[in-house]
Amino acid sequence: MARYSMRLPDLGEGTVSAEVIAWRAKVGDLVTEDAPLVEMATDKAVVEVPSPVTGRIVSVTGSPGESVAVGAELAVFETESVITPTSSVASEVSVPVVVADAAPKVTAVVDRAPRPVRASPATRRRAFEAGIDLTQVRGSGPGGRILRRDLDKTSTVEYQEIPVIGVRRVIAQRMAEAKRHAPHFAYVEEVDVTELEWLRQRLNAEHRAEWSYLPFIARALVKVLQQFPQCNAHFDADRNVIKRYGAVHLGIATQTPDGLKVPVVRDAGRGDLRALAAEIRRVTEAAREGRASRSDLGGSTITLTSLGKLGGIVSTPILNLPEVAIVGINKATERVVVRDGKIAIRRMMNLSSSFDHRFVDGYDAAAMIQALKMQLEQPETIFAE
Amino acid sequence: MSVTSTMNMVQALNSAMDVMLERHASVVVLGEDVGYFGGVFRVTDGLQKKYGAHRVLDTPIAEGGIIGAAIGMGVNGLRPVAEIQFADYIYPAYDQIVSELARLRYRSAAAFTAPLTIRTPCGGGIRGGQTHSQSPEGVFAHVSGIKTVMPSNPYDAKGLLIAAIEDDDPVIFFEPKRLYNGPFDGDPDKPAQSWLGHPMAEVPQGYYRVEIGKASVAREGSAVTMVSYGTMVHVCIAAAEAEGVDAEVIDVRSMMPLDMDTIAQSVEKTGRCLIAHEATRFAGFGAELSASIQERCFWSLEAPIERVAGWDTPYPHAFEWQYFPGKQRVQRGLRQLLNIEG
Amino acid sequence: MSKPTLHIPAVPARPGEAPDFSYVHLAPAGAALRPDPRVPVRETVELADSLIRVLDEEGKARGAWDPKLEPSVLLAGLQNMVLTRVFDDRMQRTQRQGRITFYVRSYGEEAVSVAAAAALAETDMLFPSYRNQGLFLARGVSLVDLMCQLLSNTRDMCKGRQLPVMYHSAEKRVFSISGNLATQYPQAVGWAMAAAIKGESQLAAAWIGEGSTAAADFHHALTFAKVYKAPVILNVVNNQWAISTFQGYAGGEQRSFAARGPGVGIAGLRVDGNDFLAVYAATQWAAERARSGEGATLIELVTYRAGAHSTSDDPSRYRPREEFGEWPLGDPVQRLKQHLIQIGTWSEAQHEALLATVEEQVATAWKQAMAFGTLNEGEKLDPKLMFSDVYKEMPAHLQLQCAQMESGI
Repeated sequence: MARYSMRLPDLGEGTVSAEVIAWRAKVGDLVTEDAPLVEMATDKAVVEVPSPVTGRIVSVTGSPGESVAVGAELAVFETESVITPTSSVASEVSVPVVVADAAPKVTAVVDRAPRPVRASPATRRRAFEAGIDLTQVRGSGPGGRILRRDLDKTSTVEYQEIPVIGVRRVIAQRMAEAKRHAPHFAYVEEVDVTELEWLRQRLNAEHRAEWSYLPFIARALVKVLQQFPQCNAHFDADRNVIKRYGAVHLGIATQTPDGLKVPVVRDAGRGDLRALAAEIRRVTEAAREGRASRSDLGGSTITLTSLGKLGGIVSTPILNLPEVAIVGINKATERVVVRDGKIAIRRMMNLSSSFDHRFVDGYDAAAMIQALKMQLEQPETIFAE
Repeated sequence: MSVTSTMNMVQALNSAMDVMLERHASVVVLGEDVGYFGGVFRVTDGLQKKYGAHRVLDTPIAEGGIIGAAIGMGVNGLRPVAEIQFADYIYPAYDQIVSELARLRYRSAAAFTAPLTIRTPCGGGIRGGQTHSQSPEGVFAHVSGIKTVMPSNPYDAKGLLIAAIEDDDPVIFFEPKRLYNGPFDGDPDKPAQSWLGHPMAEVPQGYYRVEIGKASVAREGSAVTMVSYGTMVHVCIAAAEAEGVDAEVIDVRSMMPLDMDTIAQSVEKTGRCLIAHEATRFAGFGAELSASIQERCFWSLEAPIERVAGWDTPYPHAFEWQYFPGKQRVQRGLRQLLNIEG
Repeated sequence: MSKPTLHIPAVPARPGEAPDFSYVHLAPAGAALRPDPRVPVRETVELADSLIRVLDEEGKARGAWDPKLEPSVLLAGLQNMVLTRVFDDRMQRTQRQGRITFYVRSYGEEAVSVAAAAALAETDMLFPSYRNQGLFLARGVSLVDLMCQLLSNTRDMCKGRQLPVMYHSAEKRVFSISGNLATQYPQAVGWAMAAAIKGESQLAAAWIGEGSTAAADFHHALTFAKVYKAPVILNVVNNQWAISTFQGYAGGEQRSFAARGPGVGIAGLRVDGNDFLAVYAATQWAAERARSGEGATLIELVTYRAGAHSTSDDPSRYRPREEFGEWPLGDPVQRLKQHLIQIGTWSEAQHEALLATVEEQVATAWKQAMAFGTLNEGEKLDPKLMFSDVYKEMPAHLQLQCAQMESGI
């Protein structure tokens, strides 16, 4: 028998702590190596942490909602034991065994019995009336007793209380932080995408693809940013420096079942349009399905945000700190416009962008968007080197 | 509304017997020292002088004889009010009370009954030692066929005693002797209080009843229910106030019949219950209260029911204040009860 | 030099030994003086140690205690004693048949109850023990009523709550019998005190066995009776045996039980309990004393428990079988019969006819009683009766329990 202490690894890039979302195994459980152990949320994502060894869990640190420091003991396992998972029948029927040697034999039984609920009668009644299964409620009282407030977390009697934990807490914190610290400069410009639309359709037909405007805009943005490095930057508040990045690590704001996430296309200028479209698709799908890796979720230098068909006319995107710029894409639609003194019907799309006004002046911001507009209105330039 | 005067419990009890001796020729008072002398606690003072030695009888020192004879009187149409000088002395009459008084109606299918009231001072706090301090209410509440009551203030004392005398069933009427002359909050170091100025010491001079079998709410509150009777009602109120707890204090008043509706209503409201009595804890009346409350209010309970009672020893003379479940002990019980998060 | 040793009361004869009643202090019939019933207590001391007897060996009434009763009164007494004995015999048999669970005969001591009942006023209150069925029969409680109680059937006066023989009759003023010994003694005194408080002339009479005089309630009763001069007659039925315990263990060796009366301060009479006339006369004397305000009398009725203590008892295990035949005070029924024949009012043939009539009367009553069911057969009492009469009004908790019982919980 040996004890194995598992410490919380750095689940992100330089994360100092992670929040426990849910334990997939509990004390006393026998887990095999790589079996799901715990779901943890970092700033960016919910990550499933697998068990590093095969063994019985002796102790765990952190209840759902609680933060565990990186490097702190997350779980302790008893390993190299003779314990093997037994079938339910075998474990429930105790067979008297004649033991020849005098030494007591340790016979471990897999703890599969339902967790006995400890709760006051009043709490039990509240749970019954609210239709809450107390075996599913974690008690925060002495000896794991379920308290009234534990129940209130899950109660549906008058209103549903949803604990702000995990991804949502991270979103909330980051949004608030961004709005509090970064003075947002919003800039909206309309873009005639009639030509881009023709091009997009032609390329989709040629390549049997279903590319949206996103890869085109992404590619155009990458190009434009070469002239506007101040917009592809991070502000390191601790050291009070601006870090201007060479490569564009493009964050794609993505709606997922857990809430807003920003998966990253690393070095978005690296491949061709097809590769870029494929990578955008890969990272956004991984984020939606909750299987984004750590590297998929950290380190973007600028973010594109699009609500697609729900894009509306104008939006006021909030910066994804420590980035200093975010470009929002509104809905593309045919509008009546004046071209060379004549009324014409053109496909129009607005770009609603926000900049950290501390580090990006309004002139530069406007110039950057105008450059992007030019690229998109003359789409062949997107592909010019 | 009849004219009231301020009475202590002794005067209120005296007034009850006075009223009933006046109203009904069948009422007689008997007991040791109750006649000429007026009782060792003065509860029957002046009654013999007013109603004569045939209706207010000094008796031989034989509790079994007092109760045995009183049963016979009851069978023969009188309504005797027998005093047992101290509840500690009631045991020689135990057979007459339990085997005879309590069973007579039942065994004779109501052909014979004895409407007897047995008054007896109980409880400690008077430096009485183990033979002058006992609270045997649980011993009698356990017996089918008799009613058991204990008032905590002059108003209830008179109203309940009148109701007891009028009751066609036998009633054992416990008088917490520590409350005779004033309320007692359980702190022996404070100067003794008198009933003067206490709202429950305003007692009608004439006839009125407090129904047997109805508890009262001595103090309203919502955080915890304190169930008690006799002296401990006052101790509970004092403890709740000292502790700053919004406690509801129920004065049981009648152990049998027990007003479970009033108790349950309160416990269902507060979700927490402390039971306090002077009597020893083990198999004391608090055990019945606790069990009944648990049965009626289980699903409302936020915490285990707490009992504060006398230690399970005889009542010691020199250690009276270590024995008596005073304010500190009740406060500790309250804290224990309220520290449990439901 | 002698030293104290623990005295163990002597039992005159055990099974296998010859009966020995030499310990019974006797006196000839007619020997005792009869003082005025209002005499001071100390003038009864001799009567308490003596033995008041009226009927002599030939059945003649002798002396000042002869109550000089009308033949009709005597005949009624004989009939009631015969009825008591026949009833007892019949009920004993039904117990053996399993129809009733328990029975107590008064065989050999019928005069104790029947003569006393005859001497008292109908309005006097009687507090019997469990061997005083003669009081109920003499007061006219119907055989069927008594039998229904024994059967715990649908007409049971106790509604199924009492052991057989624990009768009562409010109408005939016979108190409810308790299974606890001597408890009725202070109650009778209290009843009498109440009568005196109310200024009424009724008196109370109570009966206990000599064994029960050891109980505290005996002493409470005597004390209260003395203190308040209660109009009560306290009877001690000294039938020599308390189950297997000889009367010496109740303190009968050194002094008569009657002597405890004057010892405490009430009049005492020691009476031949098998002599109908003596029991009648002593009761009459005590009643007159009580009604005249001179207070209580303790009457010791010397008799012999000819039968077993109860149907659960076998006296042959602790006393000679032949004892009753040797009992110096004879059989009360035989002695009154002899007296009636002696005075020319009765004959053997009439007595035979009486026995036959009474046998028939008891048999008929038994059939009627059985029609209301037995513990095991026929109609049954409603078990809900268990919950009534505990209190005048059924409290909530009993209503709940009654409902629980009905629903089979």
